[in-house]
Amino acid sequence: MANNEKTIEIEVLRYRPEEDDKPFLQSFKVPFTDDMSVLQGVQYIKDYLDGSVSFRWSCRMAICGSCGMMINGVPKLSCKTFLREYYPGKITLEALKHFPIEKDLVIDLSDFIGKLESIKPYIVPDAPRALEEGEYLQTPRQLDRIAQFSSCINCMLCYAACPQYGLKPEYLGPAAIALLHRYNEDNRDSAKAERMQLLNAHEGVWGCTLVGYCSEVCPKDVDPAAAINRNKVNSTIDYLLRFVAPRGGN
Amino acid sequence: MDTIKTDIVIVGGGGAGLRAAIAAAEKDPGQCIALVSKVYPMRSHTVAAEGGAAAVTQPHDNLEYHFNDTVAGGDWLCEQDVVEYFVAHAHEELVQMEHWGCPWNRKEDGHINVRAFGGMKIERTWFAADKTGFHMLHTLFQTSIKYPSIKRFDEYFCADIVVDEGRAQGVVVIEIATGRICFIQAKAIVLATGGAGRVFRENTNGGIVTGDGMALAYRRGVALRDMEFMQYHPTCMPGTGLLFTEACRGEGGYLLNKDGYRFLEDYGLGPPSPEPRNKFMELGPRDRVSQAIWHEKQKGRTIDNPHGQVVHLDMRHLGEKKLRERLPQIYELAEEYMGIDPAHEPIPVLPGVHYTMGGIETDGRTATNLPGLYAVGECASVGIHGANRLGSNSLVELCVFGKVAGEEATQFVKTTSNSPTGTLERQASEIGNRLRGLVDNPSGKERIAVIRSEMAKSMEDGCGIYRTEAGMRATCDKLAELKQRYRSINIEDKSSAWNTEWLLAIELGYLLEVAETIASSALNRKESRGSHQRLEGLEQRDDQNYLKHTLARYAGEGPPKIEYSPVKITKLEPGIRAYGEAGEKAEAERKKKKEAAHGK
Amino acid sequence: MSTRKPYVRPMTGWWLKNPVYIRYILRESTAVFVGIYAVILLIGLIRLSSGEAAWNGWIDAMRSPGAILFHCVALGAAVYHAITWFAVAPKVMPPLYFKGEKVPVEKLVTAQYILAGVIYLVLLGLILWS
Repeated sequence: MANNEKTIEIEVLRYRPEEDDKPFLQSFKVPFTDDMSVLQGVQYIKDYLDGSVSFRWSCRMAICGSCGMMINGVPKLSCKTFLREYYPGKITLEALKHFPIEKDLVIDLSDFIGKLESIKPYIVPDAPRALEEGEYLQTPRQLDRIAQFSSCINCMLCYAACPQYGLKPEYLGPAAIALLHRYNEDNRDSAKAERMQLLNAHEGVWGCTLVGYCSEVCPKDVDPAAAINRNKVNSTIDYLLRFVAPRGGN
Repeated sequence: MDTIKTDIVIVGGGGAGLRAAIAAAEKDPGQCIALVSKVYPMRSHTVAAEGGAAAVTQPHDNLEYHFNDTVAGGDWLCEQDVVEYFVAHAHEELVQMEHWGCPWNRKEDGHINVRAFGGMKIERTWFAADKTGFHMLHTLFQTSIKYPSIKRFDEYFCADIVVDEGRAQGVVVIEIATGRICFIQAKAIVLATGGAGRVFRENTNGGIVTGDGMALAYRRGVALRDMEFMQYHPTCMPGTGLLFTEACRGEGGYLLNKDGYRFLEDYGLGPPSPEPRNKFMELGPRDRVSQAIWHEKQKGRTIDNPHGQVVHLDMRHLGEKKLRERLPQIYELAEEYMGIDPAHEPIPVLPGVHYTMGGIETDGRTATNLPGLYAVGECASVGIHGANRLGSNSLVELCVFGKVAGEEATQFVKTTSNSPTGTLERQASEIGNRLRGLVDNPSGKERIAVIRSEMAKSMEDGCGIYRTEAGMRATCDKLAELKQRYRSINIEDKSSAWNTEWLLAIELGYLLEVAETIASSALNRKESRGSHQRLEGLEQRDDQNYLKHTLARYAGEGPPKIEYSPVKITKLEPGIRAYGEAGEKAEAERKKKKEAAHGK
Repeated sequence: MSTRKPYVRPMTGWWLKNPVYIRYILRESTAVFVGIYAVILLIGLIRLSSGEAAWNGWIDAMRSPGAILFHCVALGAAVYHAITWFAVAPKVMPPLYFKGEKVPVEKLVTAQYILAGVIYLVLLGLILWS
């Protein structure tokens, strides 16, 4: 491998909270082979060039959702983006947009976690079911309604893509709404009415102006824009129903 | 030093930790449960499990079959009473996951669908496409939000266990965001920190799988059991080691050598059939399949690849539609990481380290011999995997024994009161000083990455699929050297907030500790069993001398002290472990013998 | 004291920093042209109600090169908006199934173009027929 090694320039937007007032760019030269991911490039930097560069990562296979970053301005999972795609140009890495930077490529995602916790992301059954009664029935078709929206890995790329979230951080945002939609669409669940209140709010679906970029950057084809905009229709119906039957047709 | 008082602290936010937390919260909603995880729970490595979770489901299946598969699969090194409990509770736990919302694949009528898996006599593996671990983890994480008594400490790194008056009384943790060191005082501690696959070079594991809980318990005097048994998964991506699930073969994929020949036939797994047949050919257990690939390599029948000698995983005959539906993530991995369309090309694969069968020694109720300390999941050795784990048994283990751990810890809490904080805090703050001392080490000159990669390489060389005396000795010596060099490790980052270099250094300490227990345990087991295969005349199983568990005990700076403990046999006497046609014959004979015994 | 000091990046000029955002702003700004067009039409109606001379004056104004240019631009804007709308419409509606299979997004988009074409032809037919 060593004989055909090439070198690529990787710029990292550094921010060290204990030393810096604002972020700055630092450039590194990284030897690479064609099968190396951007994540492996940053790992090389940390291992051999500058041990203080901080970033999150774990699974390396695009399922744990840790390693999202802005790669030349585009939010991507660094483990499934490859250095060769940028060579011989340079790569600029930055922490995911629209989130506060904790350090270097590490963002503060506590805001999202709070939102995730707020949407009741669990099955609320109509009546409790004993284990002895076995599983709920769910046909492949019913599963298909939730399959896509339950594939979200919480990687935050969609938030980094959403300018509305950047402008109004109180907006519930793509991943949280997609997950909410996943539970609302689940035939085993009965808490739709409660969750609709979150969607109906100004910070709910109406915070979305359909930029649509969230779905473009999603590495798992969750299509959060679809979840949000279908719920604009649901929210409108919910609103109108309230005139007919107060308490949201409950 | 900040002290946080709680009833139970659970270390690890993966499947086992979350299941334990929920069980504890349900058992006693009044108690306070701290869930400490060095990553946000949904990042835990349970997320990467692909194939599925086993439980007796079909009418023609029964608990005895699952029991027999597991015990024989583990080459009789399983605690059989624990396996009995395990298979009996597997189904209800998976139903519980279903009630919590796990999107299991279904049959047309809406009932759970099952798929075939290696070493399993009957199809009994529940699955959610090929992202079963992902769906189970997210389901558990999201469900855990329902319970207000679970207080999460996300991105807190567990750095030590505080032991006083002969029992575990809390943990010292680092808040990663600030570098602040705190003491979490608890009446019971549950370790659920996962495996230690990162001690090897080519592995399927995430960067966080560094044996933290194993090393911590070990240093506190709890034995690590059966550590020599590391599972090589036969089908991994060359270079990165990323996993191609066993379900690829469960759905009907073939393994081919360079001549396009289904070579498993030559290793006691035949005869081949076009359709997958349980316990035959590609549905043999992982140890046997990985060993067969090793032999093919010796015979020069593997294929050259920049990252080593590979064989082909051929799924072309399954067609794109089925592959996209059943194995979407595999499709994605092959396409995006390797530029291969599995519907039209075979995937080059090689074995990689996947699972740590051994772990913290516990009884069948997840208790260690240190009062107040429990361990569950891959970090533990509760006794169900023996010398080789069957695919799809570990996800169920998380649920079955996660629940047990949560309930047992709750029970323990009821009979225990918190000790005065003073002495514990003093101990915790000494630990804190030692941890910070790592950063300010004046003699620092060794690079973390260099030691780590030398360790991983040495483990692969000495403790791989086949092991030799000289190889293992060399690894033991290398590890001793690396431990010495570790003392003068250099951390460039002197800051406190998000100092991941500091954490990597602590993790490297864990890895070295665990690596040493693996190598020493392997060196001392002079037989071949399951995933521990020796050459030089030790190719056979030796029940006379080694039908027993290895216990690696901490012995200060040097290598561990190796002891042995008996194996619990209840229903299935040790017998021939065979698959394919030979397996069917062996099973028929077992049955005949049993009937004859009953007849008398 | 905490060692945390999260840095919040400013959003200034965000819409120029990514071609996707530029296209989004363009799409949104088509509303300006459609809006002006609607006002012009409204004025035409008022003119119509205030007698023949006023109406003819409005018609003359519409024939000026400036007005024609504006209408061309407005048409372009409306078409662009329609294209973007057709593209996202499948996201807004619940999934459609045909014989147990989910209808693919591309088919839904094509169906909209066909539908739009048919409507235009019918309208054209009506105008020519009258």
